[in-house]
Amino acid sequence: MKILARIGFWLLVAGIGLFSIFPFYYAVISSFRSGNDLFSVAYLPERLDLSNYVAVFERQPFGTNILNSIVVAASVVALSLALGITAAYAFGRIRFRGRSLLLMTILAVSMFPQVAVLSGMFELIRGFGLYNTLPGLILANLMLTLPFTVWVLTTFMRELPKEIEEAAFVDGATPWIVVRRVFLPLMMPAAVTTGLLAFIVSWNEFLFALTFTLTNERRTVPPAIALMSGSTAYELPWGTIMAASVIVTLPIIALVLVFQRKIVAGLTAGAVKG
Amino acid sequence: MADVVLKNVRKSFGRAQVIHGVDLDIADGEFVVFVGPSGCGKSTLLRLIAGLEDVTSGDLFIGGERVNDRAPAKRGIAMVFQSYALYPHMNVYDNMAFGLELAKSSRSAIDAKVREAARMLQIESLLDRKPRELSGGQRQRVAIGRAIVRDPKVFLFDEPLSNLDAALRVQTRIEIAKLHADTRATMIYVTHDQVEAMTLADRIVVLNAGRVEQVGTPLELYHRPANLFVAGFLGSPQMNFIPCAVSRTDADGVQVQLPNGGTVTVPVSPAGVRAGETVTLGIRPDHVKVLDQGALAGRIALVEELGESHLLHVDIGRERPLTVREPGDSRHEAGQEIGLSLDGAFCHLFRESGGALPLLAPAGSPTGRPAARAINAA
Repeated sequence: MKILARIGFWLLVAGIGLFSIFPFYYAVISSFRSGNDLFSVAYLPERLDLSNYVAVFERQPFGTNILNSIVVAASVVALSLALGITAAYAFGRIRFRGRSLLLMTILAVSMFPQVAVLSGMFELIRGFGLYNTLPGLILANLMLTLPFTVWVLTTFMRELPKEIEEAAFVDGATPWIVVRRVFLPLMMPAAVTTGLLAFIVSWNEFLFALTFTLTNERRTVPPAIALMSGSTAYELPWGTIMAASVIVTLPIIALVLVFQRKIVAGLTAGAVKG
Repeated sequence: MADVVLKNVRKSFGRAQVIHGVDLDIADGEFVVFVGPSGCGKSTLLRLIAGLEDVTSGDLFIGGERVNDRAPAKRGIAMVFQSYALYPHMNVYDNMAFGLELAKSSRSAIDAKVREAARMLQIESLLDRKPRELSGGQRQRVAIGRAIVRDPKVFLFDEPLSNLDAALRVQTRIEIAKLHADTRATMIYVTHDQVEAMTLADRIVVLNAGRVEQVGTPLELYHRPANLFVAGFLGSPQMNFIPCAVSRTDADGVQVQLPNGGTVTVPVSPAGVRAGETVTLGIRPDHVKVLDQGALAGRIALVEELGESHLLHVDIGRERPLTVREPGDSRHEAGQEIGLSLDGAFCHLFRESGGALPLLAPAGSPTGRPAARAINAA
């Protein structure tokens, strides 16, 4: 009975693992194949053909697209954290009229589907003169990342002992110094986690990036991949699309692996009351 | 060095008023302890002085200057918190240096001050450690060190010892007393522990429900409590209270009739007291004597041995048993019938309003009341 349960458990784990990894695995396999091979089903790589990877960068400004994505995602993370932490201080620590209403409003904003705000946002971006620019994309993406950043950081901020802040006030700190020199270091684990999530959201964002950019040089990676064209109008370049997908997935995996240790280490360090 | 003066200080949170007009004069260099049951407003009062809460109305002076609207850091105070409130991500040195750094002191001045404080508190070897690597006692020293380096005019302590174990508490208590002797700074100390209050204080402020019940030296409060609350709050085990009726008043004091017939004459001022009035007689457990036959009779319900003394809980036919403390081991057992005598000289009488009748000071004042004597001499 016990053995059966154990076998069942591992079968389940294997099933879930297969389900989550297979699409990526198939993308990797496909990226190494070209021509008619692409349209036959194969589960094992036959040979290592890197021509697709070369083609990605030759046929379009894919390097620029990656750079754009990095700039947008990094700026979104930096702005989300800066605004999120200061907002969290206000929500978590300062009593003011309408605090919970405002917090609810922020949560409500994240409930709108992107499509619903798309046309309004488009007018806004154009009004600011940010159409087809990276700052326009950064602004739009903040709408997606700020609500959860503020919420997570506020929850975390509320759990920090109030006496530490009061001790800092007695020591002569202003609220800004308290946030920067006392709370920020203590909130590192939360900041890393939310920052990572914000990065992933922004990195994968498609609809805004497609709508608010016009030229190939201003696109971020997701619309760039979607709009890739083959050598003829009738060819869908699966090989290059798969190669591009693999290229842009790798940084995310690397980031998660790098910061995973920080998250775990930070969380255990914060768990001990000082 | 500074005195602290509170004038009709009130504090409300929303509609709930928690401090009801406190007037207090704390002299320069004095060690004042706020005591009271939890929720009495003692911590709030300290936080008002610190500037962590705003005074709703009234005036607060530190060193002669009105500081109502001044930020905590500008009041010349330093505070030690119950939970230590060290900065977890900084080492001990940086924890102590943080305030000086914000005050833009020079690096060498900071270094000198931090090392001096560390030497005083014997935490020099811990300067590179993080708070989480320290024991509770060491953390509390660092918290005190952080207060010392600020060179404050007034030290504020918010139940600083309540997170420590018993042995460490005694040790740290002595160190705080030494710190006061060394610095001669004004200190205000909040605690619910009456041993800390009695041992540390120059003067004790007893608070109840946001009001000051009595202010005085520890022995003054112990020997001459102004009302039922103070009498019941100070002293452990608690003072015994017996409701009784006034049978006679004369120049020697007030004679009261105990519930089961005996009488006791208590040397208190009879002014305004009528015969037949209901009063509460209070007597500390140490002052009740066990006899075969006395003014009160009762049956021992429980014997508690403490080693150096023992407690007898005596059922005298009332809801709450009478507590008696006698030195050494008990000669009695539970269930035994005994008599109790109450020495009038050690009794207190409280009127129905709760206020104590003032003690008379006859020439041969009882030895158990040194403070009373001192006051009368003065």
